Amino acid sequence: MNDIPRIAMKDIKISFGSIQSLRGVNLELYPGEVLGLVGDNGAGKSTLMKVLSGVHVPDSGSIVFEGNPITIHNPLEAKKLQIETVFQDLALCDTLDVASNLFLGREPVHFFHRLIDKKKMHALAKEELDRLGVVIPSTYSAVENLSGGQRQSVAIARAVTYQPKVLIMDEPTAALGVKEVRMVLNLIKKVKETGVSVILITHRLQDLFEVCDRITVLYEGKIIDNRLIKDFTMDSLINSITGEVKEAK
Amino acid sequence: MTQADGTMKTEKKPFKPERITSAKTTQWLSNNKQLIGIFSVLILLSVFFSFSTSSFFTTGNMLNLLQQLAPNLIVVVIMTLVITTSGIDLSVGSILSLASALIAVLLSARWDSFFAFVFVLIVGAAVGLLNGYIISYLRIPPFIVTLASMIYVEGCALLITGGYSISISGSSWLMSLGGGELFTIPVSAIIAILIIIIGWIILTQTRFGTYIIGIGANEESVRRAGVNIKKIKLFTYMFSGMIAAFAGIIIATRLGSGSSNVGTGFEMDVIAAVVLGGTSLFGGIGTMLGSVIGVFLIGIINNGLTLMNVSPYIIQIIQGAVLLFAVIVNTYFFGRNKKRN
Repeated sequence: MNDIPRIAMKDIKISFGSIQSLRGVNLELYPGEVLGLVGDNGAGKSTLMKVLSGVHVPDSGSIVFEGNPITIHNPLEAKKLQIETVFQDLALCDTLDVASNLFLGREPVHFFHRLIDKKKMHALAKEELDRLGVVIPSTYSAVENLSGGQRQSVAIARAVTYQPKVLIMDEPTAALGVKEVRMVLNLIKKVKETGVSVILITHRLQDLFEVCDRITVLYEGKIIDNRLIKDFTMDSLINSITGEVKEAK
Repeated sequence: MTQADGTMKTEKKPFKPERITSAKTTQWLSNNKQLIGIFSVLILLSVFFSFSTSSFFTTGNMLNLLQQLAPNLIVVVIMTLVITTSGIDLSVGSILSLASALIAVLLSARWDSFFAFVFVLIVGAAVGLLNGYIISYLRIPPFIVTLASMIYVEGCALLITGGYSISISGSSWLMSLGGGELFTIPVSAIIAILIIIIGWIILTQTRFGTYIIGIGANEESVRRAGVNIKKIKLFTYMFSGMIAAFAGIIIATRLGSGSSNVGTGFEMDVIAAVVLGGTSLFGGIGTMLGSVIGVFLIGIINNGLTLMNVSPYIIQIIQGAVLLFAVIVNTYFFGRNKKRN
């Protein structure tokens, strides 16, 4: 693994009113690695990721992106740094077809830039989905006719088309069937192979052992465990999540 | 990890060779079964009226019908776009009245036809722009905003006419908009067809149309994709006002007079046609062809029953019943008009 982290967050603190949500978090993310971010409800996983995707601005602490100190004030700045987030709500337009969803906001156009080049858009969409190994009946299907796993795959594929350096996924396998989970996990592996750093937030611990290189455990706004996946067992992971280990630093 | 290897096999299914065209066709059919349904009703009704009255299926009656329905056909195009964004524009009827009154007043005041025409369109666009601004930038629900403008715009129309109808004299090119013919086809009908085609292209082939559907389906996701959704809504309502004004000019020049009550109930006819056609009142689903068929369905019921000497009061009852029936069928048999998520 490279020595320079793609992202290094140092001593990130953020409070909402009297509640201190993050109490000095250090997090490093390396190129092409899948980092599992776990913790009980309210541990601060989502808040931490929202700091990275520009939704929240931390009260103190620093972020270093590929060796350069940066600040992220809003979601647009995060996008410009090629940090993409797939939120739990997926942000898909149900009645639009798969290709339109993939290219929403940047549709290829022709005819003096007036009309959408549908042929090209669907061809590009199919190419992109094939590359990621996403199986969908047709790029002409409306997203509302797809299964949960397919919808999740479309949302991830859309994020990937922005060629992110960092891809944050919030609970991508929640509420999916067994086959569907498999589909999404395979997609995450494919995304990783392209050199993207992935941060995976999930409650499904068995998924972590399948795709992650490293797991970071948050507990009450602090990181209390951070090890390579091979150093974890299911039991030791559960102990960490419930806060039954000493801070490992 | 072992259970992973067991299930991997399902993943390695050979990739089905894709037949995009056939998928596209089945997709179209499943999306448009409702359209096929309402089109069949239209054909059945036409056949029924053709046999029950001798004058229904004649060139004269058909052309007359086209001319009468032209303003509805024009406004239904923009109303389809508005409703697809999950909005509504109740002010089109009042704007139509105001436009008809205003063009009559301006022409009586010896304004040049062209300037009068452009001025009335600008007034319509201005009302629409105000609607759009309040809806998209001040975030007030479209129903309330356009209800209010429906009231004040009608007030303006009453004010400038004093409640009387004002006759339009002269025979400029403007008069041929409403009453003229080109190869025996009413000019207004030709204009309506052009606007329908443009509306269809905008809805299905342009970014603007895609974002209109997207806004109706999931506004937030379109916003997150970096699209200026406020601007899109603003323009949609502005065009709505402008096109309603255009339809008002067509009606005024056809009737040879402008009056403040010519558009009363017009918005309801148009909205009914849009809903009959299968566009979802909750947004995200819009069909231009369906709306056009909806206009014809309402128009043909009216025309055919009138020719059969049915009382206009009974016709109105039948029209309401048909609309109610269609909405129920749409909701329960086609699963449309239901709120998604």
